[in-house]
Amino acid sequence: MSQTKSQKRKMSLEKKHNLTGWAFLTPATLMIAVMSFWPMVQAFILSFQTGTANKLKFDGFSNYTRMFKDSVFMQSLGNTFLYLIIQVPIMLILALILASMLNNKNLRCKGLFRTAIFLPCATSLVSYAIIFRSLFGVDGFINSVLIKLGILHTGYNFLGHATSAKIIIIIALVWRWTGYNMVFYLSGLQNIEYSVYEAAKIDGASPMQTFFKITVPLLKPTILLTAVMSTNGTLQLFDESLNLTRGGPSNATITMSHYIYNQSFKYVPKFGYASAMSFLIFILVAILAFIQMKVGDKRD
Amino acid sequence: MTKTKRANALMYVVLIIVSVISVFPLYWMVISATNKSVDVSRGTMLPGTAFLDNFKSLFQLQPVQSAMINSFKYAIILTVCALVICSLAGYGFEIYHDKGKDMVMSILLLAMMVPFVATMIPLFRMFSSAKLLDSTIAVIFPTISTPFLIMMFRQSARSFPHDIIEAARIDGLNEIQIFFRMFIPTMRSTYAAAMTITFMNAWNNYLWPKVIIQSDANITMPMLVANLTEGYVTDYGVLMLAVLLCSLPTVIIFFLLQKSFAEGITGAVK
Amino acid sequence: MKRKFLCALLCAAMTATMLTGCGEKKDDDASQDETNQEASNESNESSESNATEGESSGGGSELTVWCWDPAFNIYAMETAGEIYQKDNPDFKVNVIETPWDDVQSKLTTAATSGSYDTLPDIILMQDNAFQKNVISYPEAFVELTDDIDYSNFGKAKTAYSVIDGKNYGVPFDNGAVIACYRTDILEEAGFKLEDFTDITWSDYLEKGKKVLEKTGKPLLSCQAGESDVIMMMLQSCGASLFNEEGKPSMVGNDALKKVMETYAELVKAGVLVEVNDWDQYISTLTTETVAGTINGCWIMASIQTAEDQSGKWGITNMPKLEGVDNATNYSNNGGSSWAITSNCKNVDLAKDFLSKTFAGSVELYETILPKSGALATYLPAGDSDVYAEPSKFYGGDAVFSKITEFAGKIPSNNTGVYYYEARDAVATAMQNIVGGSKVDDELKEAQNTIEFNMEQ
Repeated sequence: MSQTKSQKRKMSLEKKHNLTGWAFLTPATLMIAVMSFWPMVQAFILSFQTGTANKLKFDGFSNYTRMFKDSVFMQSLGNTFLYLIIQVPIMLILALILASMLNNKNLRCKGLFRTAIFLPCATSLVSYAIIFRSLFGVDGFINSVLIKLGILHTGYNFLGHATSAKIIIIIALVWRWTGYNMVFYLSGLQNIEYSVYEAAKIDGASPMQTFFKITVPLLKPTILLTAVMSTNGTLQLFDESLNLTRGGPSNATITMSHYIYNQSFKYVPKFGYASAMSFLIFILVAILAFIQMKVGDKRD
Repeated sequence: MTKTKRANALMYVVLIIVSVISVFPLYWMVISATNKSVDVSRGTMLPGTAFLDNFKSLFQLQPVQSAMINSFKYAIILTVCALVICSLAGYGFEIYHDKGKDMVMSILLLAMMVPFVATMIPLFRMFSSAKLLDSTIAVIFPTISTPFLIMMFRQSARSFPHDIIEAARIDGLNEIQIFFRMFIPTMRSTYAAAMTITFMNAWNNYLWPKVIIQSDANITMPMLVANLTEGYVTDYGVLMLAVLLCSLPTVIIFFLLQKSFAEGITGAVK
Repeated sequence: MKRKFLCALLCAAMTATMLTGCGEKKDDDASQDETNQEASNESNESSESNATEGESSGGGSELTVWCWDPAFNIYAMETAGEIYQKDNPDFKVNVIETPWDDVQSKLTTAATSGSYDTLPDIILMQDNAFQKNVISYPEAFVELTDDIDYSNFGKAKTAYSVIDGKNYGVPFDNGAVIACYRTDILEEAGFKLEDFTDITWSDYLEKGKKVLEKTGKPLLSCQAGESDVIMMMLQSCGASLFNEEGKPSMVGNDALKKVMETYAELVKAGVLVEVNDWDQYISTLTTETVAGTINGCWIMASIQTAEDQSGKWGITNMPKLEGVDNATNYSNNGGSSWAITSNCKNVDLAKDFLSKTFAGSVELYETILPKSGALATYLPAGDSDVYAEPSKFYGGDAVFSKITEFAGKIPSNNTGVYYYEARDAVATAMQNIVGGSKVDDELKEAQNTIEFNMEQ
């Protein structure tokens, strides 16, 4: 008798908590619904239309089939995935290593190091694009170093060749966003008790072991977060392509978002087509994020 | 002992190298801001004497003060609103999680996966028919609630011990009180990190403000920088000074907050 | 301390936003009202000067203008306003500084979402984008054919803003191409400025090789991946990337083929050096890495930033192509024109204003030239004494009347609606050709790209 009563109470309490839970997320959910989902629905409808401004007409799947015949778009798709596969892992691992270095209690000047490493993402894109271009210019700093070291005889036009331009974009991305991701890891590391590390030290664990056996598993939720965000960010990559290389040489570095931007604002506007390409990005990110969540989002 | 010493030394070397590489562009910006345009394009690396001239012509050419005030206004209001709304949601998603809510979370995540260029036109139409163009509301509303922040709070709420909640409930606190009195103080490091990131994103936001803002009086710092790069002649000294002014607030905010998110009071959790 | 600050900030935020949060939950209308109210407070706050465009043009005597360069077109517009004010004391121009990229994205956004009421009364438009915008959004612009005396402008310049035989723009700044040379460097190699006047590209190549040999300096630099030089060469013989029906005409376009071959030869010989960006291009000029440049006459302003090079520069016309019909030594690069939008509530005022200033006032052009170097396309201004002033920077030459004279001789070309697509395709082709591909293959590829972009 008393058991069922308490069960009932527990039930109603759970129900109450359940409702409170919904109340907590209502404001955010509503705002996303109005500010993101509603425009997305409209963009989706637009993706089945062709024409400009108010001369739009429905044209079935033509925008969707069109993009697979569009050689520049296909190239941009390839470029973007190359960036994703190479840059994201390098960046995240580097950020993790730096964060765990900076989490060391005995390190001096931590504040300075942290601020320094964060700086690139706070530095305005305008200046960093100019700097990268001049660093890697034919008579730029990198070339003069390589010539002095005897590796090169004459200056190499890094941004003028497809492969090296891609590599520079990847370097630029790593340089700019490592500090950003480090912030999440640093804050995530605060949730790991320092005593865990001390215990590990007493047990004679090497720094390597501590890193892989303690830091990485405990930071898993944060690593998942940064992985999903970086995947999303890279597939929508735009700034670097536009400002560093302007997509060149010969579209060798152009990204999908950059091409979509060109189709919307630089060229004769094709918003229907731009929306269709955007939804391809959407599908790709969604699939990747789904896989990442499946792999990484298990509650212990 | 020597081994750890060597490891320590290596760590310092790595950190110093990384820091130098990271700081270099800022150094270059500062140097350029003190030089004449022609010297900047000639690639000077030494401080010049044109800082005051650059400063004067920047303030003469552009509404720096109002752009600064606007940028701060938008960024602060946005950051504050975003932190509250998203942390509430993140907390709700994790602490009261069930199948339904996990599902909603996954759906919300979809909202960030469409490039902004695609949703911009419908959004613009929405704000324009509501006669809200050129208003603070229009600038900040689309980015107040982001799946990214919600997920960040949800992920960190995972390490928030449930014992605390239970104990607080027994003490007679209601759910909202638990959030404000227990969760927020404990999660200070997450809030500080989220604050830095959100402020930075809000500060640097460019594409949306530039279509939604219609008058000179409401422009932001990134728009001001863009104003300087248009036209037939770019004065690189003035441009770099503007870029410097545009970068500093984020750097300062980071510097002030970094202790809070990197050296959170371990122990508050207990 | 910091901790307290953080907490205080958060608490304030809580209280403030819980209100909006709750309002939203209760019902949508209430929050909508609330936001509307807030918004109207907002706009009241931000001073009368930015009352929305609709109101300002309704006022009758004020015109809102979007343009982008305080030292140049903004200054010109404001001066025009002052001149017009003399006869119309109530008149006012309200210039909103808007970079060209932003003018374009705002125009596209407004037109695509059907909110033409967000546009100002007058916008300044890049000549290259004129056809594209008017054809894409015909209802956004006002026709000016009978309101402006177009006989006072160069034909090539006016042609940019003519669509289906109707005029939509008032020509403004001059993009006449000039060839600038460092006379001191030429002298080192045994040349004078005259040796580079009225020459052909093959002369240029031969002389350029000698200059390179003797001084180690290329004659010309340009941005890789941009097609400015190609387009200038192309227009100098009146050729275009599109034919009269607006169809792409790259395959079988002899002029274009010759241009591309010439360009590739220049690069191969080292007479033309490609850099990766605009700022590097400017620095090749200011750091004396090159002995000259060829560009729209607006490049003078950038050259003049190197004050220590005063007197060392000379200006003449560009080389012409050989073996191509109608080839000349004159071309155009850049430039812009004013357009009146359909949102203008007082079209008569706007037309009258433009016709009495930019299309009718020598005084305006005389005033703005010395301070901004804004060269007119308004031909009567070229006869003015101000234009005949010798310029010390360019070795005492009367460069302004010289350039105005060039401007009258430019053959017109057809930008077409798909101009930017075509430019990019040609630039891509050029990069591949410099990399070793065959000209014919690349032109075919470029044509395919454009045709693909045009279908639909």
